[in-house]
Amino acid sequence: MASQVLPQALHMIPRNQVQPFNPVKNRGFSAFLSRGPSPLTTSKVSVSGFHSKFPVGSSFSCFARRGFVVRAESNPEGEGEAEAEGNENGVEEPEMKAKAEAEVEGEGEGEDEAEEEKPKEPRKPRIKLGDIMGILNKRAIEASDKERPTPDLRTGDIVEIKLEVPENRRRLSVYKGIVISKQNAGIHTTIRIRRIIAGIGVEIVFPVYSPNIKEIKVVKHRKVRRARLYYLRDKLPRLSTFK
Amino acid sequence: MWQFPVSDQVPQISGNRQACGNSFDKQQRTFIQMRTVLKVVDNSGAKKVMCIQALKGKKGARLGDTIIASVKEAMPNGKVKKGKVVYGVVVRAAMQRGRCDGSEVKFDDNAVVLVDKQGQPIGTRVFGPVPHELRQKKHVKILTLAEHIA
Repeated sequence: MASQVLPQALHMIPRNQVQPFNPVKNRGFSAFLSRGPSPLTTSKVSVSGFHSKFPVGSSFSCFARRGFVVRAESNPEGEGEAEAEGNENGVEEPEMKAKAEAEVEGEGEGEDEAEEEKPKEPRKPRIKLGDIMGILNKRAIEASDKERPTPDLRTGDIVEIKLEVPENRRRLSVYKGIVISKQNAGIHTTIRIRRIIAGIGVEIVFPVYSPNIKEIKVVKHRKVRRARLYYLRDKLPRLSTFK
Repeated sequence: MWQFPVSDQVPQISGNRQACGNSFDKQQRTFIQMRTVLKVVDNSGAKKVMCIQALKGKKGARLGDTIIASVKEAMPNGKVKKGKVVYGVVVRAAMQRGRCDGSEVKFDDNAVVLVDKQGQPIGTRVFGPVPHELRQKKHVKILTLAEHIA
């Protein structure tokens, strides 16, 4: 049975959960197998403390057949451990990485490291499908808040908005007016501003988190008992005028 | 880029129409089409015109579009007389017009500025606010004459 082969270039990072091959067997066995077309060269093979149960002969013969390089690292790259897992058919599977767990034994250190797995990380909570949009929206809002903090806006606020218009690049347009409605939709939260300009009522809808908006300032607040102030359209223009 | 879907067939989509209590007596703001009476906001002499053709758009004209209109009411001494067929540029519309950054603008009335076939305004002054959508439609002259650009 051929042991799982690890590409030489990679560090020993066990990707999948390491399955204990057999605690008894692997103790003391240190081998880094590298696959390659190179002829069988064995250098510094240390098989000290080798358990007799391990089918050495067959493995080596397997290796000899495949031309694997059996090389024991004298200086382990890290504390990586890989577990040697028997590969029944011996098919080379480049995708299968790090299924092996072998002990790293220093040169001249004869300590037996009990085979350990990487400490199991606490299971991450699964993100439900229904939460994804909420999470994305929150992230986008946070990103836009970093560049420009958005004050808390409510219906009835009299606000002043400084907007950068791509056509009018000379200076910022200023829009003042009363917030007559606020539609909450995550990143596309909009407010509707009403104002009497030059005798005509104008309502403009602004997306609050738009990067074109350079500044939002709440100038005053009017007490209103509604969430949407559409009644202002029918009322006297005086009520929608703001200097 | 946020593209606010502006669809005018369905009342639910446009803005906050749903929030009105009784939407039956509230008129849904729609396009400017044949028989729409508009206010004239320049000093060309006309007071009210009735749209007889929207030049672009199957359903009707919107903010910034050109229309053909017939003068229904005019000042006694003016450049245009009653019954004349003129071209006009819609400068204010009660229907909201979406902008490319996701904002929308709407006015309280429908207003038009009379122009000639080349697009130059007949009058010499424009009253009231105008949107800066006109700049994109190449009506720069109207923008320069305007009192206020919304």
